[in-house]
Amino acid sequence: MQLRDTLVQAAKAVKTQPLRSGLIVLAMSIGVAAVCVLTALGDSARQYVVNEFEALGTHLLIVLPGRNETTGGHPPVFGETPRDLTLDDAGALLKIRHIAAMAPVAVGSAPISAGRLERETNIMGSTHALLRVRHLSVEQGRFLPESAIDSEMPVCVIGRTIREELFARRPAIGQWLRINDRRFRVIGVLAAEGQSIGVGFDELVIVPVAAAMALFDSHSLFRILIETPSDSAMRKAQAEVRQLIQMRHEGEDDITIITQDSVVGTFDKILGALTLTVTGIAAVSLTVAGVLVMNVMLVSVSQRTAEIGLLKALGATRNQVLGLFLSEAALLSCAGALLGAIIGQLGLVILAWAYPEFPVSLPVWAWLAAVWVALATGLIFGVLPARKAAKLDPVNALSRR
Amino acid sequence: MFWQDSAKFALRSIVSHKQRSLLTALGLIIGIAAVVILTSIGRGVHHFVLGEFTQFGTRLIAVYPGKTTTFGLSGATISTVRPLSQDDAASLAGIEQIEAVVPVVQGNALVEAGQRQRRTTILGVGPAVPQVWKIDLEIGRFLPDDSFNSPRAFAVLGSKMRKELFGSTNPLGQRIRIGNDRFRVAGVMQTKGQILGFDLDDTVYIPAGKALELFDRQGVMEIDVLYSDQARAEDVERAIKRRLIMRHGSEDFTLISQNQMLEKMDSVLNVLTMAVAALGSISLLVGSVGILTVMSIAVSERVTEIGLLRAIGADKSTIFRLFLGEAVLLSAAGGVGGLVLGIALVVLAGLFVPALPVQLAGSYLLGAFFVSVFIGIATGVVPAIKAANLNPLQALRAE
Repeated sequence: MQLRDTLVQAAKAVKTQPLRSGLIVLAMSIGVAAVCVLTALGDSARQYVVNEFEALGTHLLIVLPGRNETTGGHPPVFGETPRDLTLDDAGALLKIRHIAAMAPVAVGSAPISAGRLERETNIMGSTHALLRVRHLSVEQGRFLPESAIDSEMPVCVIGRTIREELFARRPAIGQWLRINDRRFRVIGVLAAEGQSIGVGFDELVIVPVAAAMALFDSHSLFRILIETPSDSAMRKAQAEVRQLIQMRHEGEDDITIITQDSVVGTFDKILGALTLTVTGIAAVSLTVAGVLVMNVMLVSVSQRTAEIGLLKALGATRNQVLGLFLSEAALLSCAGALLGAIIGQLGLVILAWAYPEFPVSLPVWAWLAAVWVALATGLIFGVLPARKAAKLDPVNALSRR
Repeated sequence: MFWQDSAKFALRSIVSHKQRSLLTALGLIIGIAAVVILTSIGRGVHHFVLGEFTQFGTRLIAVYPGKTTTFGLSGATISTVRPLSQDDAASLAGIEQIEAVVPVVQGNALVEAGQRQRRTTILGVGPAVPQVWKIDLEIGRFLPDDSFNSPRAFAVLGSKMRKELFGSTNPLGQRIRIGNDRFRVAGVMQTKGQILGFDLDDTVYIPAGKALELFDRQGVMEIDVLYSDQARAEDVERAIKRRLIMRHGSEDFTLISQNQMLEKMDSVLNVLTMAVAALGSISLLVGSVGILTVMSIAVSERVTEIGLLRAIGADKSTIFRLFLGEAVLLSAAGGVGGLVLGIALVVLAGLFVPALPVQLAGSYLLGAFFVSVFIGIATGVVPAIKAANLNPLQALRAE
């Protein structure tokens, strides 16, 4: 028997039992579709978060005041230290060669008002460099001007939500905005950012850092963001920043430096593991489908005993009979895998249509993997019935005993 | 036919195809076991997280400075032009339903004792911490009940800090240095472990007033309020609001009660459990297709048998019942098998991996079983109708 004959025979066997074959294909396709959709969801979530982090800027170093000695514990993300990171510290960092841009950040909350409208919101103090470091874009007007780090110029840039709430229909640019007891001229409106990780820029007012510190009567920076030109410069900059601050802080190493890589890496790992778990759970359904394939093939072997006997009597070898049944299983699971992949893609298209802001896409490898796993499942669970068929004694089989 | 006969009949046809029935049930067993295991993990995580949260007790309301609508880190925790003061805390303590208040200032500083140093978390708090946060002392006592404004320089160590700074020597009465100030150790807290990633053992507690000086801050970051168990949370919240608005002139603070947090957590975690249950159900769906397949095979195999039954007087509904009964029996067996397997695996996991929080979720167990019976009914109906509608004459002639 040639390969073609084997396949034709198998296909005919599949065709004679359309309902049964259809159900196996359905079961297999449910499993494959589930694996496809869940992998795509998990992977897209991972991609989304990683992109969000990368949108914060490339080669970013974050310098925080304070340091915990316990390794593994989380860094002092907020809280106070006896020795502050000051504006002078930040200014001194500019001497380091490996730094492309440096933005000091002070954060606080205060009531803001324009006209008769008032609300409380977060105020961020920073410099012109923030635009570059955080990859912000300005929709109207301009960002904070490039001026000395300690300039208290009374200007501010506001987020989208603030603009809508305080200046509803009026143009915001050029208006005065009162922040607590000081007045700032609105010179820019940020483009909508959506919820970026950490800070919602839409509900933020950005003022020059020195003005923010005066506003809050504080000398301490919340953190310093540093952009370095390359990966290798990032390592060097990290060491030099630590050294410089230690020197300025009378020999005390009291800052924490977080690299963006490490944060992204951690999230990447966590979300990757999550995707694997979810996929694994969905893959259990493939096993169930495999059991079904085995079951139905066993039934079909016992029903087709006479046929097998005849084949053998005509001189078919064990291997040929084995091949015949295996290719039937393979055909079924192949069809199931393809149908499942199509259903999965359909599901993803529907998801993409329903949630346009969350991009879902199935990586090609996952698609191929799901199809291959389905095929392998079918074959593995097809082996037992096929062997049973191959082992049948031709005389007994012909007499249907 | 009596129902006992029907049951016997169905049972016999299942037993006569042992391998086939076993494999069909196996499909369901895997599915049900998956649901059982996944929901147990979901429920376990649920309990674990809620347990972590309620360690501090449930009669807590936290007051934060600043009023922002966005969820997440309010800038007011770091700086604000309208700080919450220690006097605010003292004033809240005067409200009738309130048992105790703890102002909180958190920071990070170098702590020195003799030759040893450690950089760690400093919590500036009030004397009521053991009562409000439900942490007991190992030795000594907590910060003395000084007035808020002239606190004495006492410090209380977390258990890990004690080990790091004093080893096995007695720390009581010893002097430690935090920043530029000197403190006398008054007590050591019992080990509490990590709570939501925050290590309370690696902490030094000092009076809030001292912490404000140390960190050169104007206001506290948070005031935790413990209310009496007779009072209702809403009343207490209203009283706190009234008092603070009276003092500040406007509502420039945010209240978050432990109950609100718990409710939010609870609903999030329930969704989680439901989501994993749904994931497990995919294999149940596949398993049910298996029952459908096998039942339709059974009908086509036993056409003659059905014809004979009809010929000797069995009516349509009897045939229908027979086949439906077989499907239900098969799936119920699968359901029981799945429950047993799932429970066994969960118990084993609990024994061998104690770090993994698992807890059998009773309602989900029951649900899984009923789903399996339902699957039997749903997938048995079509083949059973097919069997019942067979023409007896043609069925007898089929072979």
